[in-house]
Amino acid sequence: MTIAPSLSRRGIFAALAALLSLTSAPAFAQAAKGEPITLGVSGPLTGPNAQYGAQWKKGFELALEEINGRGGVQGGRPLQYVFEDSQADPRQTVAIAQKFVSDPKIVVELGDFSSTASMAASSIYQRAGLVQFGFTNSHPKFTLGGDFIWSNSVSQADEQPRLAKYAADLGFKHLAVLYLNTDWGRASQNIFSEAAKTAGLEVVASEGYQPDEKDFRSTLVRVRDAKPDAIILISYYADGALISRQIRSVGLTTPIVASGSVYSPKFIELAGDASNGVYTESNFFPGDSRPEVQAFVNKFKAKYNEEPDDFNAVAYDTIVLIASVIDKYGVDRTAIRDGLASIKDVPSVIYGKASFDTQTRRVAGARAVYLVVRDGKFGLWDGVKPATN
Amino acid sequence: MSSFVDYTVNGLVIGNIYALLAVGLALIFGVANLINFAQGSVYTIGAYIGWAAITFLHMPLPLTMAIVFVGSGLIGVLIERIGLRPLQGKARIAPLIATIGLSFVLDQLVQLIFSASPRALPSDLPDIRIDIAGGSIGAMDVLIAGAGLSSAAVLYVFLRFTKLGYAVRATAQDREAARQMGVNVDAVNSAVFAIASALGGLSGLLVGMYYNHIDPAMSFQATLKGVVAQVIGGVGNVPGAIVGSLLLGLVESYGIALLGTSYRNLFAFVLLIGFLLFLPNGLFGGRSVVHSEPLTGSFIAPSREFPVPRWAVIALTLTAFALPLIYNAPYLLQTLTNAWLAAMLALSLTLVSGTTGQMSFGHAGLLAIGGYASALLALNIGWSPALSIPAAGLIAAAIGTALVFPAFRLRGHYIAIATLAIGEIVSLTILNWESLTQGAMGISGIPPLSAFGHEAYSARSVYYVCLVVLAALALLQTRLLSSHLGRTLRAVREDEVAARSFGIQLSHYKSIAFAFGGFGAGVSGGIAAHLYSYLNNQTFDSQLSLLALTMVILGGMGNVLGAILGALVLVGLPEMFRFAAEYRILIYGIVLLLLIRFRPQGLLGAV
Repeated sequence: MTIAPSLSRRGIFAALAALLSLTSAPAFAQAAKGEPITLGVSGPLTGPNAQYGAQWKKGFELALEEINGRGGVQGGRPLQYVFEDSQADPRQTVAIAQKFVSDPKIVVELGDFSSTASMAASSIYQRAGLVQFGFTNSHPKFTLGGDFIWSNSVSQADEQPRLAKYAADLGFKHLAVLYLNTDWGRASQNIFSEAAKTAGLEVVASEGYQPDEKDFRSTLVRVRDAKPDAIILISYYADGALISRQIRSVGLTTPIVASGSVYSPKFIELAGDASNGVYTESNFFPGDSRPEVQAFVNKFKAKYNEEPDDFNAVAYDTIVLIASVIDKYGVDRTAIRDGLASIKDVPSVIYGKASFDTQTRRVAGARAVYLVVRDGKFGLWDGVKPATN
Repeated sequence: MSSFVDYTVNGLVIGNIYALLAVGLALIFGVANLINFAQGSVYTIGAYIGWAAITFLHMPLPLTMAIVFVGSGLIGVLIERIGLRPLQGKARIAPLIATIGLSFVLDQLVQLIFSASPRALPSDLPDIRIDIAGGSIGAMDVLIAGAGLSSAAVLYVFLRFTKLGYAVRATAQDREAARQMGVNVDAVNSAVFAIASALGGLSGLLVGMYYNHIDPAMSFQATLKGVVAQVIGGVGNVPGAIVGSLLLGLVESYGIALLGTSYRNLFAFVLLIGFLLFLPNGLFGGRSVVHSEPLTGSFIAPSREFPVPRWAVIALTLTAFALPLIYNAPYLLQTLTNAWLAAMLALSLTLVSGTTGQMSFGHAGLLAIGGYASALLALNIGWSPALSIPAAGLIAAAIGTALVFPAFRLRGHYIAIATLAIGEIVSLTILNWESLTQGAMGISGIPPLSAFGHEAYSARSVYYVCLVVLAALALLQTRLLSSHLGRTLRAVREDEVAARSFGIQLSHYKSIAFAFGGFGAGVSGGIAAHLYSYLNNQTFDSQLSLLALTMVILGGMGNVLGAILGALVLVGLPEMFRFAAEYRILIYGIVLLLLIRFRPQGLLGAV
């Protein structure tokens, strides 16, 4: 520590870090005046998943503005975050992980986006004793990385059985499943198929597609030939919209039931008229009458002048959750881990009230509503079953 | 039976879309003998120009198309001016890297200006559909087919019957001769890029409207499918590109019919390999096409190796070994570890592509084989990583050589495209072979690096493991290059005919190069697997192959030290630009362009 070059280099890093915190955390509060507490975020700001990193930022900043506005945490200390761009590339997340674990200012890490990228870094966080909090990581094995690996991402074990039940409630019997062939889609498809069987439904076709796939016409011939009475989409909003459009443009009238991940205003924009009649369920729905949802939606609209989507909501929820843990249990890295295990009933847009299962290090019991698109808008399902033949 | 008709119609519809992409690529390849990786970016830009014209200026479709055509054409002129013209007479490979750098810059610009999230691109075409069998064809399909066919027809007439067309063809046949006959070669190239880019941009617009979806990440896949289609049709052949695209669309569609959606790209790349092996000139290529391909040697810049004195190499190595003792910063060490792992890949590639002259665009496939081999050996059989990693190297060497062996009779761009396809096939096999690889779910819980019961997981010990392996591989490769074997490999690169007449068994020596290279890459992938503890089909993607190639060219083809330096620079730069957040890949692309512009033979020179 007494070697001159290392000191000067550290000086440069410190200057860069200061620059970073200026550029990436503008939502600094006036009210909180103490020494800031820094959260490390690892996520995509460039590359093919950059859109999701941008969505996160909106949720983060809204939450920080609010928390710091009412005086921060731990008696007046403001929260801030450092966002390191990983491009959701495992080679970069491991470097970021080393950067974060060796920076004493970082008290907890949030992200990364994909499981490929997050799980490559898990062992570094686990061994260094810094909480890796993945809020979009639904890979069933993500939190098995160790007792410092936590997630409030909605477990597919919760979500997919609900989707299957929705399909059953709608009166469908024979289902064709189209799923995104990533770890998320594959895991979801497995759980969905099990749940569908339990609910007495038959999966007549199952087709996995690549994330960069754009053309589904031939896949839809396979689907048509399997004679389903509904098509299940386990998709994100962009690919879900592409498929919905093509289902209608090849002349299929089969009803579509999509997993909650398509829930986004963008889905309707991209799918156009084909979005009408699509059934979905969502953990987050701006029209939901729960007060915490309404409060979030109103604040979000006031700040950004647009409707929030699921990614905005989970990012917001995550900051609120971490802030309450820090406020209650302190800024020590281990205290934060223990705090996650002890904290109960944090207000949450997605869960209503969030508490962790200390065994799985996940939150159970995400709220969800049944939705259907009518006239280019998501709305609550009115309970009317579609006519089936 | 009616399904068969549907699959056929659908195959033709998507083939139709590939055709628009392939025509532009074919034109540029035919004249400039260059795979233009920036073509996909122009396609993206065209789509966004169209989006802006429709959204902000509310233009009708014909006017939008005209604006996109002109705007993208101008971008093409710019690409030629920046990426191609200053590099003439330099290394043949330099323009290829320049187009990769340009595609980074252009894609990032689009993303910064228009944001990363996908946008809807509605068309005001009437919603008329013609029912065919069980499916239907819409107005947009007809428009796209019309655009593809008419642009091919116009190009055909232009190339056959106009004066500029003569000049273009003359330049394509023999640039020097054309120049001596008074053809302004630069102007011809400029015109070709303008036309090809205008078509590329237009196809971006039409395809964007077709799917009602545009996003800044759509360019790479577009380039990939366009390249496949035009090789099938016959490289550089415009009508061939259209027929090749239709065939590609049909095979993909029938592939989905046979095995399912996740096998689609597997069919595409197997088709490509089939063509390269049995009909390398494509459907329409004359016999002459392969012969006009340059000998592989001319791919590499004639240059003098930058002399690095032995004491400097020793001093640098010692510094690398001493660094963790002096400055134990985990982030720095991890970044360097990443660089060492990348350097192993670069060493492997520089031997195969630089020394032996076999361009490989699919080197990430070797990493993937190595990574999965080591992970599976450790998890399923319980081998220690000390054993499973070298075994992974051997497995990658064996499988990699076996896969590429049939392609050894190809040269230049053809071997590059073949390796690209092999890399994709490896990754798609991993995705689909779920019983072994667990497909997209990936393999988790891979044990950390360890030897003799000692686990290595601190940043410092991992750093040392990688550095020692890298140093050993580099030393071995240096020895190899200065032996008779190295001389023979270079002889293969310089002139295959001459080498053969000296009694050198070409495929034998190419196998040695691939086996040695495969070992290094496999070891790198194996170490990475234990480092990350989790792997899936996306861990080693095709972008990584391009990155490795960039490292090798940047360092100097065939140059051992250059490969390590290239890896260090290309892993280090994005980390150094972290402060620039969203702008860092843009800066990286610009730096890459500048490096290629001013040092096309690589930092340390080709050997």
